[in-house]
Amino acid sequence: MDFACMGVDAIQAGLRAGDFSATEVAQSSLDRIERIDGSVNAFLEVTPELALAKAAEVDKAIAEGTFDQMGPLAGVPVAFKDNMNQIGTHTTCASRMLENYVSPYTATCVQKVIDAGGLPLGKLNMDEFAFGSTTETSAFGTTKNPWGTDRVPGGSSGGSAAAVAAGLATVTLGSDTGGSIRQPASFCGVVGVKPTYGAVSRYGVVAFGSSLDQVGPFARNVRDAALTLNALCGRDPLDCTSQACDFDFTANLDQGVEGMKVGIVPAFLDAEGLDREVRNAVMGAADKLASLGAEIVEIELPNAQAAISAYYVLAPCEAFSNLSRFDSVRYGYCDPGHKDLGGQYEASRAQGFGVEARRRIMLGSYLLSSGVYDKYYYPAQQIRTLITQDYLNAYQKVDVILSPIAPSVAWKFGAVSDPTSMYLADMFTISINIAGNGGMNLPVGLGEDSGMPVGVQLIAPPFKDANMLRAAAALEREYQCVGVAPDFAGEAAVKGGE
Amino acid sequence: MKTMEEVLKDWEAVIGLEVHCELTKLNTKMFCGCKLEFGAEPNTHTCPVCLGLPGALPVPNKAAIENIVLAGLATNCDIEKHTMFYRKGYMYPDMAKNFQTTQGPKAFCMRGWLDLNVDGKGASERPIMAQLEEGESAENVTRTAEGYTARVGITRIHMEEDAGKMIHMGGGEGRISGATHSLVDYNRAGTPLIELVTEPDLRTPEEARLFMQKLRQIFLALGISDCSMEEGSLRADGNISLRRRGTTQFGTKTELKNINSFKSLHDGLAYEICRQAEVLEEGGIIYQETRHWDPSAKRTIVMRVKETADDYRMFPDPDLAPYDLSDEFIEAVRAKLPELPDQKAARFVESFGLSGYDSRQLVENMATADFFEACMLDADAKLAKPLANLINNDIAALMNADQDFDLASSSLTPARAVALVDLVAKDAISSKQGKEVFAAILEEDKDPAAIVEERGMKQVSDTGAIEAVVDEVLAANPDKVEQYKGGKTGLIGFFVGQCMKAMKGQGNPKLINQMLSQKLEG
Repeated sequence: MDFACMGVDAIQAGLRAGDFSATEVAQSSLDRIERIDGSVNAFLEVTPELALAKAAEVDKAIAEGTFDQMGPLAGVPVAFKDNMNQIGTHTTCASRMLENYVSPYTATCVQKVIDAGGLPLGKLNMDEFAFGSTTETSAFGTTKNPWGTDRVPGGSSGGSAAAVAAGLATVTLGSDTGGSIRQPASFCGVVGVKPTYGAVSRYGVVAFGSSLDQVGPFARNVRDAALTLNALCGRDPLDCTSQACDFDFTANLDQGVEGMKVGIVPAFLDAEGLDREVRNAVMGAADKLASLGAEIVEIELPNAQAAISAYYVLAPCEAFSNLSRFDSVRYGYCDPGHKDLGGQYEASRAQGFGVEARRRIMLGSYLLSSGVYDKYYYPAQQIRTLITQDYLNAYQKVDVILSPIAPSVAWKFGAVSDPTSMYLADMFTISINIAGNGGMNLPVGLGEDSGMPVGVQLIAPPFKDANMLRAAAALEREYQCVGVAPDFAGEAAVKGGE
Repeated sequence: MKTMEEVLKDWEAVIGLEVHCELTKLNTKMFCGCKLEFGAEPNTHTCPVCLGLPGALPVPNKAAIENIVLAGLATNCDIEKHTMFYRKGYMYPDMAKNFQTTQGPKAFCMRGWLDLNVDGKGASERPIMAQLEEGESAENVTRTAEGYTARVGITRIHMEEDAGKMIHMGGGEGRISGATHSLVDYNRAGTPLIELVTEPDLRTPEEARLFMQKLRQIFLALGISDCSMEEGSLRADGNISLRRRGTTQFGTKTELKNINSFKSLHDGLAYEICRQAEVLEEGGIIYQETRHWDPSAKRTIVMRVKETADDYRMFPDPDLAPYDLSDEFIEAVRAKLPELPDQKAARFVESFGLSGYDSRQLVENMATADFFEACMLDADAKLAKPLANLINNDIAALMNADQDFDLASSSLTPARAVALVDLVAKDAISSKQGKEVFAAILEEDKDPAAIVEERGMKQVSDTGAIEAVVDEVLAANPDKVEQYKGGKTGLIGFFVGQCMKAMKGQGNPKLINQMLSQKLEG
């Protein structure tokens, strides 16, 4: 049995009933990765010892009758994006720079998932340092979209999305700075949640844009994502930007949307470049919500169109500074033999970072330099304030906002190579990071033209992430289309993988 | 080169200081829980945060912020309630993240000031003093009886973190030139550090020295740092430029870096004043550069020339939310302010009738001020002055000679000090014997009375006994008596000496003197 293709409730029911053990769950998942991941390349490192050790712990709890105290993810196969530190594992951020870096400590989010009973299978591929929307900037090969292996899985958390879509893990963690959870979730047809900024500790997650980064789960259904959020969220004394959030994300999943006010943004739906099948999917979802008793309200976000410009000032500035620690001196890629420190710095950083990382470092370095800073950084912060205010105004009228995630379904490898076009594809996700709200992807079926998964984005007011989960759960019941990608769902997949 | 006094007649020196003070009294570092400890095994007090490992995040140390607010309140600063931490980028292996977390345009403490009392020889370095009557003010100074007071503006005090410590190996004396490799100790990385920047209000090296001294006294009184210039927990950089007297345009400044004593600060600035004047008078130009004071060679040497301003790419640290101080927090810190040296000195003048000069000397050091106060608990008010003298002269000399001397734990207890000055005041022993008893207390750990008893030191003030000795001495030296009467009155010293000798040093010199004069004049 391929347990990683199952949901949390099914796995835990089986464990409780004694139908199988956690060790069997772990072993079958590890075997499946071994069989299948060659054709997906979701994993950068597999950690059998860690998974089996945790499984033994879970089995012990089952034997001792303490299984129910283990936590919401007890016995569930999980995996982490490779920018998350886990002691004893490589944390490469998919970069040559950190190819041989072994974490000496564990990120809070990883620890919480393991403490909640998750079986840690390994570390997942990503765009280098999370710079990208396709996982193509990974220094260790690109990840394939399980719904069509000639297509990109999205990014930067492409490995995290693909692993769930291919049934290689039940739940994975990703990080989202400008759409890096929601967009790959949409491309791979899985649920992906970026909670409100501050809901999940960033401690131990290698920073890209510190004021934008947020950790969140990927899962094949809304409930599994909510269970994972229950384990993840809350104040961490090690991250002073984290905040208390003591509510049960599963509490109102069954409540329905009767009386809920759902905002739609006409300007988003009329946006240039938005594919017809995506637009239709969003409109279809709006109709479904209306038929379920929600009120659809048109709202305006007048400054949202400036989000990409502000983002591509703020994010590179923060990235430039965050990545300055990778200097080859104490850890990381080093080109030795230089006469002076400057030479070693330059050569090591030139060779250790890939082209997109270098582009963003150069951009940030320029934007923060004296004389330039005032012209870009300060206005970008002003725009940030305006966009945040736009959303707060909108939440006066609505409980949740429905919008596209990406302008299109997953494209074929190489179809988009120009960085500017790539950046523009983030137009629907980025403003949510700028404002700090929560946002998520819910798969709503396959595109009528492409046959690839299409998702819709649900956006919630700060720390009211439960609103979007509630609406998503209601929609999910209507569509019932989430699951392992067909090519990997049955025995055929095993053959395909060989 | 001209002397500084000559230079300062034609030129005005404009001096500003940047003072770094490590908050050594805290238990933990600025942004992590690592222990603060000087001299521990290298790299034993480190964690992912202060090593700048990928993924680590800073959490501000609230006690450090309490300390800087204390420092700000004690130096008359406005406390800014809403400030942000900034990142200051520069790549060097001692800075683990390759940026230093510091503060931006708004620091926790802004717009403060300190008043300096400048007296003695140093007061004459400021030419304007010659033109002022007591109580008159000009520039930022007011003439006093003993010299002048000067108000020095404090631009800001901001919070930052210290870097690690680099040790260069294989070169000469740990220097980087010729070194084959370098070692880094990150124990110091992340140590909470406050940086105080003054306005360019200082005009003489003496003022700069006094400012540092005063700041040190305040920080010690606040208990926020051990302020050891030797160990580097208190460091000063001096910016100095010259301009012709009567002009207002600033000249090009040089920066004296890493000065580790008050004397070096004074001497380094004095040298720079003379050097810059010589260059300018010969028609040369001053380069904006960083210079190092070499105390053994008694000159400054160039460390590096600043061709362009460094670009640190400062921006608000996105890992640290804006830091807001509540009124309650600020008031709670204000309530913790101890009595500051100036207030203490004023109280000594008020309560014990000491001079301002004596009082200021007493409060230069917490140990001597506390000792004085402990003495005065049991002492008669008229002993205040002799106690102040004992402390400011004998004890201060002892403390200067031996840095490790700990007054509080020495055998010289306040009770013994009071007993000692009391014996001298009562003429029970001479002041010369007093010095002997002082030394004996420290060496033998005994009470003054016991020492006096053992050594049979009692001062003879019995006029009958003294008269007998005086008569004896005069009778034994008839020729000298003749010479004295013939006008060689300086011989009085000879007669006193002979009397003291005959009395084994125990005669009351005042009475002997009186008696001799009486007999010789009569």
